[in-house]
Amino acid sequence: MNAVKKVLKAREMTALLFLAALFVVVGIINPAFLADSRNVANCFNDSVVYILIAVAMAFAIFIGEIDVSVGSNLGLVAAVVGTMLQDGKNWFLAFFIGILMGTVVGLINGWGVAVMKIPSLIFTLGTNGILRGLMYLQVGTKQVTDLPIAFKGASSYALFGLPLTVCFFCVLLAAAAIHGVLTRTKRGRYFIAVGDNAGGAELVGIPATRTKVLAYVICGMLCAVAGILFASRAGQVTSQSGNGYEMKAVAACVLGGISLSGGVGSVVGAGVGAVIMASISALLVFMGFSSNFDSAITGVILITIVVVDALVQRRAAVRNRHARLAARTNAPAGGKEAAEQ
Amino acid sequence: MEANQNAGNSVPLLSVRGIYKSFGLNAVLKGIDLDVMPGEVLALIGGNGAGKSTLMKIIMGIYSHDKGHMSMNGGAVALNRPSDALARGIYMVPQEPLLFPNMNVEENITIGFDRGKAELHRELVDTMAEIGWNLDLSRKASSLSIAEQQLVEILRGILRHARLLILDEPTSALTFDEVKSLFRVVRDLREKGIGIIYITHRLAEVFDIATHVAIMRDGTITIQGPVAGFTREDLVKGLLPPDAEGSVQVRKAGEPSVDYAADPVLELDGFSGYGFSDVSLKVWPGEILGVAGVVGAGRTEMATTIFGMDKVLGGRVLLNGRDITGKRTRQVIAAGLNYVPEDRHLNGLFKICDVAANTTSASLFGGALGKVLLNRRAEYDITEKYVKNFRTKVTGHDQLTGSLSGGNQQKIVIGRSLATNPGIVILDEPTRGIDAAARGDVYSIIHQLREQGLSILLISSDMEELVELADRVVTMYQGRINAEFQKEDINQDNLTAAAFGIVEQEAKGA
Repeated sequence: MNAVKKVLKAREMTALLFLAALFVVVGIINPAFLADSRNVANCFNDSVVYILIAVAMAFAIFIGEIDVSVGSNLGLVAAVVGTMLQDGKNWFLAFFIGILMGTVVGLINGWGVAVMKIPSLIFTLGTNGILRGLMYLQVGTKQVTDLPIAFKGASSYALFGLPLTVCFFCVLLAAAAIHGVLTRTKRGRYFIAVGDNAGGAELVGIPATRTKVLAYVICGMLCAVAGILFASRAGQVTSQSGNGYEMKAVAACVLGGISLSGGVGSVVGAGVGAVIMASISALLVFMGFSSNFDSAITGVILITIVVVDALVQRRAAVRNRHARLAARTNAPAGGKEAAEQ
Repeated sequence: MEANQNAGNSVPLLSVRGIYKSFGLNAVLKGIDLDVMPGEVLALIGGNGAGKSTLMKIIMGIYSHDKGHMSMNGGAVALNRPSDALARGIYMVPQEPLLFPNMNVEENITIGFDRGKAELHRELVDTMAEIGWNLDLSRKASSLSIAEQQLVEILRGILRHARLLILDEPTSALTFDEVKSLFRVVRDLREKGIGIIYITHRLAEVFDIATHVAIMRDGTITIQGPVAGFTREDLVKGLLPPDAEGSVQVRKAGEPSVDYAADPVLELDGFSGYGFSDVSLKVWPGEILGVAGVVGAGRTEMATTIFGMDKVLGGRVLLNGRDITGKRTRQVIAAGLNYVPEDRHLNGLFKICDVAANTTSASLFGGALGKVLLNRRAEYDITEKYVKNFRTKVTGHDQLTGSLSGGNQQKIVIGRSLATNPGIVILDEPTRGIDAAARGDVYSIIHQLREQGLSILLISSDMEELVELADRVVTMYQGRINAEFQKEDINQDNLTAAAFGIVEQEAKGA
């Protein structure tokens, strides 16, 4: 069993090695980067929002679908929670409402994709538009900037003078817990199973539709939490907040070894991918480039991995089909019938 | 969950009574009665579209039935979803195993259980030791052969304490040795008192493995009983429509006869590819050559490989004496061969385009429709010609093809391939899933084409159709041509027997 676990981990290991190599290369180009441990730590601290949103996206991708509304979902929750805090409302009430909103968005996405069977890209593109529109109405041209100091400071709080924040450890713990549930529990395996082979899942008694809806609900809920963290870390929310995060999240997932066709990968991989995604703009600056390259580079990474993945899968599919067809003809064509009589 | 051995011997494990099922206007099951006793292997045979799969899906709770009832061990049961059927100990091993390719063997077997992991693991290891299977539980399912995948599926069923196992054409993708080991397992299971429904296309297997046999034809069961009471001839008769004897020699005289002294239009010489092997045949000008066989015999694969859609593994294809082996689809069309696929929806039609666009879509490469801009006039003329000739019922050339009936869609697809002016057309199951009236129209189109001197390679699982249309028929069985029938020998009896693999003795003697 141990050998198997190692093989299974290989996909995430690749991403982890890539991350380490990235840091080393940047350190060689600009020694100042590795000279101060806080630079590396900041990459991790900045990644909390990305990790949550990548894990959220991972749920949608596990079941073989996608959710392009994660960025707007995050943004809208950040705006609503931010506004409430700015107005001096109770924190927990604000958090509760924010998470409830994200969950409802997830439920709607799940209904559209799993129950109504609308292609997930299209349906969530629609919700994305609605959420972004609601955000314009909520935030308008003004920004949510006057957030309580304590709220802004909460996500940067660190214990014992560690360079890494408490917030980062919490997110790490949450991701590990989700990973445990997905891999160690019976129901947790359902998500992967449905994405791996929906028809087969139905046949062994797994409720495929319900599992898909649940995946979207969890996705929406995690987006909401990411939204609250976003408001705290950024300290402000504009009508553009969260824009483009969906691509970062998808890129993080595929970088972490999750297959876009569903059924393969882990949230650990998504988390590692998210750290890479979060680090790109900082690393660009250290290498002397403008951080404006960030989005383009993310796109290049995404397409490269997805194309390679698609080629590998297509070859495997053709090979399997040919093996199956070959097995039919290899059966002895004559003589068998007569011999048996 | 009772132990499976204790089921009484006189009470059927599963009893199905008066099951009816229709999809729209299409009645698929017309009153099915079926019993399976514990320790019985019931071979279920039937042609394509006989309703076997539908019946199994009803038993598995995937489809609901319109009328009738089912009982297990004497008590009425409602099987509304797969989990109901699973809970009652029914497990189906589908024809194409539905494993989770990215999970390992153990995960594949144990997923969906409510029992503890350690307990399951122990039981799994014990079960495998008991039946003598050796399968590495940590292997990924995507690395398994089809036979191994089937073993995994069967293990799933055993671990679920299945009392009724449905095997849907389990041998269709297995090699000879794998078939032998599967049969051993089936016998083991039978001795344990498990009831098995064994769906197959191979009559020889019935006598090998089954204790009982049931034949389905056209939504009804025509023959049912212990295997010992039947001969192969009885079974073949059960597969034929009741009036088959009468139709043996009803072929019309007076059709233009084929000139077999001329050079063949199409010649396959030792042609091999994925799914078929060493196929040699010739089609003469103005001839309709039927290709009979059951699904999975390799006929469609042969056609698509000729048409440049899959890799050639050996042999040659000559079209009018020119070698077109392994050419691309575009070049094959240009050389004068066209193919009308079996599945109009998947490979044939552009459903959300209009009738005109569909009819002329295969002609876009030539100059017939203008060099750069579309020549609307030419498009109109071509479309009008085929709509009129084929009596296709359309509201206008701008009607969306997806909104037409199946028969009319089929006419459009045939029209499209003819619009490229081929010398030979391969028609793959041209009347599958269309109603009787449209079928008549398609037949008269085929006759018409033949009179115009076009050669046709007609792939069909409908023996009546071949009797009606073909000048000569070859049958394919497990990827090879196993028999050829001249016009006077074409009858449903001969074709059905050969398609189900019973040919060696008779054909050689004839």
